Amino acid sequence: MNEILKIQNVTKSFDGELVLKDLSLSIKHNEFVTLLGPSGCGKTTLLRLIGGFVELDEGTILFEGENVMNIPPSKRQVNTVFQHYALFPHLNVRDNIAFGLKLKKIDQKDIDQSVKKVLELVKLTGFENRRVTNLSGGQKQRVAIARAIVNKPKLLLLDEPLGALDLKLRQDMQYELKEIQQELGITFIFVTHDQEEALTMSDRVVVMKDGLIQQIGTPEDIYNEPINRFTASFIGESNIINGVMKEDFLVSFEGFDFKCVDKGFDKNEPIDVVIRPEDIVLSTKRDETFFGTVTDIIFKGVHYEICVDVKGKEYVIHSIRSREIGDIVSINFSPEDIHVMRKVNVKA
Amino acid sequence: MSRLRRLVIPYLGWMLVLIVLPMFLILFLALTDYDLYLGGGFKFTLDGFSVLGQSTVRIAVVNSIKYSLSMTVIALLIGYPTAYYLANLKTQYKTLFVALIIVPVWSNMLLRIIAWEKLFYPISLLNSLGISLDLIGTDTAIIVGMLSMYLPFMILPIYSVLVKMEYRLIEAARDLGASNVQVFLRVVLPLSLPGVVSGVIMTLLPAMTTFALPERLGGGKILLIGNIIEDAFMKTGNFQAGSLISVGLMIVILVMFVGIMKVDKEGETLI
Repeated sequence: MNEILKIQNVTKSFDGELVLKDLSLSIKHNEFVTLLGPSGCGKTTLLRLIGGFVELDEGTILFEGENVMNIPPSKRQVNTVFQHYALFPHLNVRDNIAFGLKLKKIDQKDIDQSVKKVLELVKLTGFENRRVTNLSGGQKQRVAIARAIVNKPKLLLLDEPLGALDLKLRQDMQYELKEIQQELGITFIFVTHDQEEALTMSDRVVVMKDGLIQQIGTPEDIYNEPINRFTASFIGESNIINGVMKEDFLVSFEGFDFKCVDKGFDKNEPIDVVIRPEDIVLSTKRDETFFGTVTDIIFKGVHYEICVDVKGKEYVIHSIRSREIGDIVSINFSPEDIHVMRKVNVKA
Repeated sequence: MSRLRRLVIPYLGWMLVLIVLPMFLILFLALTDYDLYLGGGFKFTLDGFSVLGQSTVRIAVVNSIKYSLSMTVIALLIGYPTAYYLANLKTQYKTLFVALIIVPVWSNMLLRIIAWEKLFYPISLLNSLGISLDLIGTDTAIIVGMLSMYLPFMILPIYSVLVKMEYRLIEAARDLGASNVQVFLRVVLPLSLPGVVSGVIMTLLPAMTTFALPERLGGGKILLIGNIIEDAFMKTGNFQAGSLISVGLMIVILVMFVGIMKVDKEGETLI
């Protein structure tokens, strides 16, 4: 059996407000799955359902084929890394990490061994006797991860664990988490609202909005083939344009027809077109059809973010070459850079 | 800054006149044979220490410890579950129930003692309900009276710690495999210990030093240290004995206060 977790038609509401709507999702062994979405999309609720902290209204959650609805959190083979760490302030680092092992009445020698090993893994060797209240945010985070993984759960839930860290630390921790996951071979379900985090670490990303799954796919799929306007704008930057699908491989927007690689739409079906800022090439040849005026230039380090006004609509372009404000430039892209999406919300 | 500092002068004056000076006066009285009411000369003497040998004083000391300790234990056993229950109530009920606990404390203590006294005599308002109590002078009267006075001071500090406790910690413990009992013993109880210590001290101390309560509810049969001190100053005029016992009590209180500060460094549980 390849699936560790199967969520079927789960519905949950709080005080009459529906936060998860008939949601289904399967997660495979050893997968790193990210639940991505804006705050209030239901991702944390879904995580808490899996952890057993919230009861569901309808549907089932199967853990390795077994219904876990009536199993309390303490009996599930799942551990959680909580959003604000939730370390026990009255215990030192060792006792925090050993908390779960002590409850299992494991030999003190083995506990010490496990704590030592897991501290090595999270790069906190020698921190055993520190008070957790005196640790930095990054160190607390590592202790929280160590405290969860020392119990060797089959499934680790992480609720925005990096949210409170500064940018540099957050990026470092992203790689480390991925490494830990690969080393231990544990399934990770990671909740975040940060699309970069999701793209960097995940095997699969689940994009959520208003209690519904918008799209499930690999980071590449989600970035390159967003299924709708929401996913396209939430993941990465994008130019989204209203258009019409004239026929297979021919799309029309901004008054021009363009060749594209998409098919399977109705004739003259209204659609959304996505063009990623890095896929657009600017040129100064005036005879081209699609052109506008540079209105803003922002230096972003690796590239310049250039805003071009085309007949009142703003296009964002990423280019390593700067321009001058007021330059007249034409906008070029190849057929494979045009991505066509249906207007309606389609569930993956 | 200096302008703000000036605002504290009235309070400093108050402390000096009503707390610091009397303390020195008590110390002085404890070590001399000076008569506070008649005045006149005085000489330093340690004769007053003989008071500690008197059987009434010994009995009073034993009584004080016995009643205040047993009352504190009962108060803890009732108070902790109450505080725990209150802390887990919905917000709107919380305010209501906490108010119900605090409001009686605001009414005059002597008044409440006298109210209990009236109920504890065989002939009382309760007769109309067919109940006749005869409790004056019994252990029950003292303990019940003390509980009604001091239980709120046990509940509130524990409540204030529990209500601030991060709920995620309890979830984290459950997540790591703790049963409800284990969650309580390993997380909730240790984290609420500062509140327990404050509560114990805030009930134990006033109970140990009370004199009005045993006087009214003890029917003259039960003496506590407070009654000995009161007698020494108000009736027998043995100022040195009264002062010595007071100093002894102050030392006990001081030691306990240092205890609170050690356990509860931020002083969050002191009301």
